[in-house]
Amino acid sequence: MSLVLENLTKRFGPITALDGISFSVERGQVFGFIGANGAGKTTTMRIVLDILRADSGTVTWDGTRSTEVPRRTWGYLPEERGLYPRLEVLEQLVFFASLYAIPRAEAAARARDWLTRFRIPEYEKRRAEELSKGNQQKVQLIAAILHEPDALIMDEPFVGLDPVNVSLLKEAFGEMRRRGTTLIFSTHQMEMVEELCEAIAIIDQGRLVVVGSIRDVKQASGRRVVRLGVESNDGLPWLADLSGVTVVRAGHDYTELDVRGRDPQEILQAALAHGERVTEFVIADPSIEQIFIEQVGRAPSEDHHLADAVPPVGSGAAGGSGAGASGAAGASGTSA
Amino acid sequence: MKPSLSSNLHNILAVARREFIFRGRTRTFRITTLLLVVVGIALALAPVIIRFVERGSTGDRIEVAVGKTAPSVDVAAALNAILNAPVPDAPATSNSPPAFRVEATDDVNAARTRVIDGTSAALVVLDRSPTGDLSFTYYSNEGLISRRAALIQQAVGSIAIQDRLSRAGIPPGDQGALFEPPAFASVAADPSKPNRGTDSAEAFASSAGISFALSILLFMAIILYGQWVAFSVAEEKNSRVMEVVLAAATPFQLLSGKVVGVGGLALVQYVIVLVPAVVGLLLQGQIAGLVLGTGGATVALPTGLSLQLLAVFGVMFVLGFGLYAVLYAGAASLVSRQEDVNQIVAPLTIISVAGYLVATYSGTGLIPIDSPLVVILSFVPFFSPYLMLTRLGQHADSPVEVLVAIVLLALFIPVALWVAARLYRSGVLLYGQRPTPRTLLRALRAQ
Repeated sequence: MSLVLENLTKRFGPITALDGISFSVERGQVFGFIGANGAGKTTTMRIVLDILRADSGTVTWDGTRSTEVPRRTWGYLPEERGLYPRLEVLEQLVFFASLYAIPRAEAAARARDWLTRFRIPEYEKRRAEELSKGNQQKVQLIAAILHEPDALIMDEPFVGLDPVNVSLLKEAFGEMRRRGTTLIFSTHQMEMVEELCEAIAIIDQGRLVVVGSIRDVKQASGRRVVRLGVESNDGLPWLADLSGVTVVRAGHDYTELDVRGRDPQEILQAALAHGERVTEFVIADPSIEQIFIEQVGRAPSEDHHLADAVPPVGSGAAGGSGAGASGAAGASGTSA
Repeated sequence: MKPSLSSNLHNILAVARREFIFRGRTRTFRITTLLLVVVGIALALAPVIIRFVERGSTGDRIEVAVGKTAPSVDVAAALNAILNAPVPDAPATSNSPPAFRVEATDDVNAARTRVIDGTSAALVVLDRSPTGDLSFTYYSNEGLISRRAALIQQAVGSIAIQDRLSRAGIPPGDQGALFEPPAFASVAADPSKPNRGTDSAEAFASSAGISFALSILLFMAIILYGQWVAFSVAEEKNSRVMEVVLAAATPFQLLSGKVVGVGGLALVQYVIVLVPAVVGLLLQGQIAGLVLGTGGATVALPTGLSLQLLAVFGVMFVLGFGLYAVLYAGAASLVSRQEDVNQIVAPLTIISVAGYLVATYSGTGLIPIDSPLVVILSFVPFFSPYLMLTRLGQHADSPVEVLVAIVLLALFIPVALWVAARLYRSGVLLYGQRPTPRTLLRALRAQ
């Protein structure tokens, strides 16, 4: 056990931001911290970093209270990216590194190295305000890792990045991981979680909902998902006869089904019995997104979609077709 | 949060270094410094510059119409002598042009026209009342409350008295003896101890001037550079870089570093501005000689400017600025926009203005220097930099008192740091909240 959070509570005036959060992160792990906007992710991270103080509860790193842990233990990429707008890139990086007692020459060498790795060595002498958003984010990330922290804590690192930069960042993740850095990041992009994380914690409205390794979390859900692909295009009307089976995702290529309480083989038999020509049949664990929806009651990225329109009187099936809105069940999306 | 002393020191210096170098490198800093240097030199050399500008002028023309009053003295000549008499205690400037040129005239109407069109500054018309007293009418384009009118009113007063004395039969020679001031000596009641305060008018004027100048220097540093600290905090908060820095350094380190960095730069700018100004002041005579072709009076350093006073000023300046700057930073961390900074630091500015005003009033004697208000306030940290200096300038204190005030001030700074770091910790991550007294209290109570 490396990072241990125990019973963290934090109130901001009348709002309870954290309500007894406890979980732990193994050293060297890639850990995903999932929740909708306002769930308490940023507050938790700030408390770990000792930027904020919890009202109660403790954070320890290798048994040492976080308030006593040297600050160079952490690298931090805040959600609100911040650089000195009128400072040259290299100077900013050297300044940030100097706060971690890295000699200036050493810091400059490392900074140049990383700027080259991120393919922006020519921006060394530019002022931060002259850089594009994507490049500012690269500089911000370099600022967070220049002092080679034991743990890198990132608040929504993928937000606002274009696909090229996303894959650059993923590679950087891989490299940090090989060096043994513990990576903790918050996100509400579930595909990133599935792809990168070994363990996750889901929090909602300041409370911990699920925590554990991806495998444990999926198995603990007790759910199985079946992907069924058929040649016909009639929407599988016979599914309605099978109780306990719900359509999670309807698509042209395949249909994803939640088959809790039924043997997945029954689905295959039923399909064949109804004369379908099966092109794909997969039995899988549910996705983290599905687990999130099941546990929290709405999609993690719900804030990124329009709220359901008030349905016109009489129109029945105007169901959401987007990935995010699926199964959202019109949960009230008020988040502090 | 118990960073070692060395890590504290290291980060404070790292933050200070950035503040110092990057603020010092901005164009704004360079231009304002240059501008201030020019203004400083101009102020120091103002007498020379004024004389240079006026070297061709023959002074304002004042016309006098005596009419049929037949005064006992030559009014025009007497007025001329009185108006252009050298100011006592001022350095003798024998070669400076006269400020006034008094001419006699007979044509009142023509003279009035000349006053209206500006070729003459004023016209004085004499008359005699039925009792035989001289009366004067002053024609000008300005009211009675002007320096020139006041001078002329004073001058004609003594002419009228001379006239009355002459009519009473006292010859002009005796009149001088009549106005001679009597001998008046001030002696310390306790001969073993010299009197507090100053004995001569010159010494008083000199020490009042010094207190005044030192208060202004301190006041300007606090207002000007305190704002720098405040704006620097707001700027970091505005660009959201604060959170990154706070992950690396504690609020205490960040706060102290800012104050040290900006304070250091302020000191540098001060020295850059003051040194040429002081040099200009000291070399005034030589410069005047060079520019005007005539040797002028050299200006010596004021007699009241002792090394002790300068040393205390140095200590008080650093500590006083530190105290205000720390609190400016703490206050500025509570607002998220730069335009709100002035509002939030206003209470501090008002306190500073109050200290400055009390110091100025007691320095010039409007408030007695040993009044309880001044004595008590001269120990209160926010006011002691101003008031202890003033009291010291007037020799109205003992070295023990100065030491006590310095110690109190030095002890109060950690308290201010603690308060400001508290405000900072809770303030810097608050965006868009109004800093109400309740928020402030909560910030101070927060863990």
